Amino acid sequence: MEEIYRKKGVKIREHLNEQYIEVSRKDFKDSCAYLYEKKHSVLRLMFATDERRIDNSFRIYTVFSIPGIDRFFIIVLSLKDDDFTFPSITTEIPAAHWYEREIRDMFGLIPKGHPDLRRLILHDSFPANSYPLRKDWSITETDLREWGEGVKQKEPYNFMEVEGEGIYEIPVGPVHAGIIEPGHFRFSAVGETIVFLEPRLFYTHKGTEKHFEGMSFFDGIKLAERVSGTSSFSHSVAYCMAVERIAGIEITEKAKGVRTLLLEIERLYNHIGDIGNMCAGTGLAVGYAKGAVLKENLMQLNDRLTGSRYLRGINVIGGVTKDVFLQADAILSTVNDVTHGYKDSMRLLLGSASHIERLENTGGLSKDIAQKLGVTGVAARASGINDDIRKAHPHLLYDRLEFESHTMTKGDVFARMMVRAEEAECSISMINALLENRYEGELSVEVMEIPEYSSAIGYAETPRGSVFYWVMSDNEGRPFRVKLRSPSYCNWPAVPFAGQGNIVPDFPLCNKSFNLSYSGCDM
Amino acid sequence: MLKEIIKNIITKKKVITFPEGFNISPEEAAKIVSFQEKIDRAFSRSLRIRQVDAGSCNACEWECTALTNPIYDIQRFGIDFVASPRHADVLLVTGPVSRQMELALRKTYLATPEPRLVIACGDCTIDGGVYRGSYAVSNGVANVVPVDCYISGCPPTPIAIIKGLMELMKKISG
Repeated sequence: MEEIYRKKGVKIREHLNEQYIEVSRKDFKDSCAYLYEKKHSVLRLMFATDERRIDNSFRIYTVFSIPGIDRFFIIVLSLKDDDFTFPSITTEIPAAHWYEREIRDMFGLIPKGHPDLRRLILHDSFPANSYPLRKDWSITETDLREWGEGVKQKEPYNFMEVEGEGIYEIPVGPVHAGIIEPGHFRFSAVGETIVFLEPRLFYTHKGTEKHFEGMSFFDGIKLAERVSGTSSFSHSVAYCMAVERIAGIEITEKAKGVRTLLLEIERLYNHIGDIGNMCAGTGLAVGYAKGAVLKENLMQLNDRLTGSRYLRGINVIGGVTKDVFLQADAILSTVNDVTHGYKDSMRLLLGSASHIERLENTGGLSKDIAQKLGVTGVAARASGINDDIRKAHPHLLYDRLEFESHTMTKGDVFARMMVRAEEAECSISMINALLENRYEGELSVEVMEIPEYSSAIGYAETPRGSVFYWVMSDNEGRPFRVKLRSPSYCNWPAVPFAGQGNIVPDFPLCNKSFNLSYSGCDM
Repeated sequence: MLKEIIKNIITKKKVITFPEGFNISPEEAAKIVSFQEKIDRAFSRSLRIRQVDAGSCNACEWECTALTNPIYDIQRFGIDFVASPRHADVLLVTGPVSRQMELALRKTYLATPEPRLVIACGDCTIDGGVYRGSYAVSNGVANVVPVDCYISGCPPTPIAIIKGLMELMKKISG
């Protein structure tokens, strides 16, 4: 690290486990490359802010974490004097490719040297030269009317084309055949084999980050809970954590206990449901039905515990609203029943040769590609990357709980199923361990004041992988900028690589094994 | 035995039993049973739904998926989700309608054969919900396609969706 610190004009600022390192434009690329190549760090997220109101500059933040160190290294670059370009780091760190395109779409800051500058989030129907996350931007009535088919200044989007004898294209979506979210996929295939796949996502883009800016910190929780339905709880934990860290509050043991417990229950219902859903991809109706019933039992438990099947309305800034430990018996008995049923159904799945045969060697994602693209969560662990936010940056009660993060090496659909299966068992034992202890303290502590123009990161491990919220306050006690990065945003770029070389009919199975959220990715 | 069968033929009484885990009061159960008769009348024992996600957070989709699990088992009422709007009687739309899904939703609506009913499912379909006022949403389904019935809840529970379907049936058969 000394290599970066010694550079000219470097300013360092510390806040909890975050270290902000402000570098000059000249050193930006080298500093990022140094952290990535020499320290083998992981790019956690990258985003821009419009701080022209404070000191007339845009800023680019790149957040890294080095394995084995509970600390975020944040390289900050200030863009002053109406220079709307910054050096692209995509060629050195491929995981940055979506982040940089997103910054271009939302702020109009051009990553110089980026190999693919097509629009990412905004579709071609969005008016050109319009950048929603700039502070002085607001959409006019005419623009709103224009947005869509009637747009005057179009920015065309060209799909990649594969040429060659016998190659044909299959366009699918955005409205799919199943009860799933919208997205467009363009397969280039020879016979049944996928040669190339290009997804076009962001159909469900709802302007969430901009929408946070018009809300109070408290109302923001409701929005965070509705970014991705099945990860509602983890998203709100990460958001609340970020705000609590800005305000400098330490939540009570009891609140930590409730959050940890519900995070694990959320993981359990997702993993069990996902394993069942994979059976829908292979046509194993019994396995699918069993998984669905087990998941339903857990959803009803959620409802009994919190009044919401998706664990909404529990988190507040400073703690939680309900003491779910009062219903420890209900949790224990349901989890016990589910455990029995789950073990039963796993025996059935692993004993079904036709099911396993479809899963093995399908949708393989190599460790190399997964690492380069910054894949997270189940998908990363199935490809041999041991990355788990609960271990890498221990928070809540995770430093006191005994658990292992399981990895497989093959990176195929089967590996992703087995990682889920082992994590589900792990969650069951964590839930049991949590219920054995007592946790002291009030449900929540009062938030006195949120300091102006300060920022912090909040994070959690969702069932799909790590989620990050970076929140900055303004001088009126509202969010100035909220950057959210859901695990699906990191994992979507990997799906085409896993699909390549498979037959088209196996793609739904492959897609189900990742089980990514479109809404979480599209923001 | 024979008496029993004859009695059943005469009264045409249908008994629907609900499995364990189907949390419902007896009055609601009675309503659902009569709902079945209405579907039988209006759509000759078959109502086909095409679900369209217009920017939902995905919670509503999972509740719709839950309808097909062995606990709710919506197929026994003759209701099912189909793969194409061409096969559908009803569109079940979720989400506040993101601007980038508007065109797709309109096209899906036009591809559905008459009577082309639309159910808007979830709080954000009514007025945009928590997303109301965001630049990238249309603040509700009715701003894009005509809506026949709303189901509230964030997300509505599977039982609430079944009840919503029932309301729609009332509207059709009077």
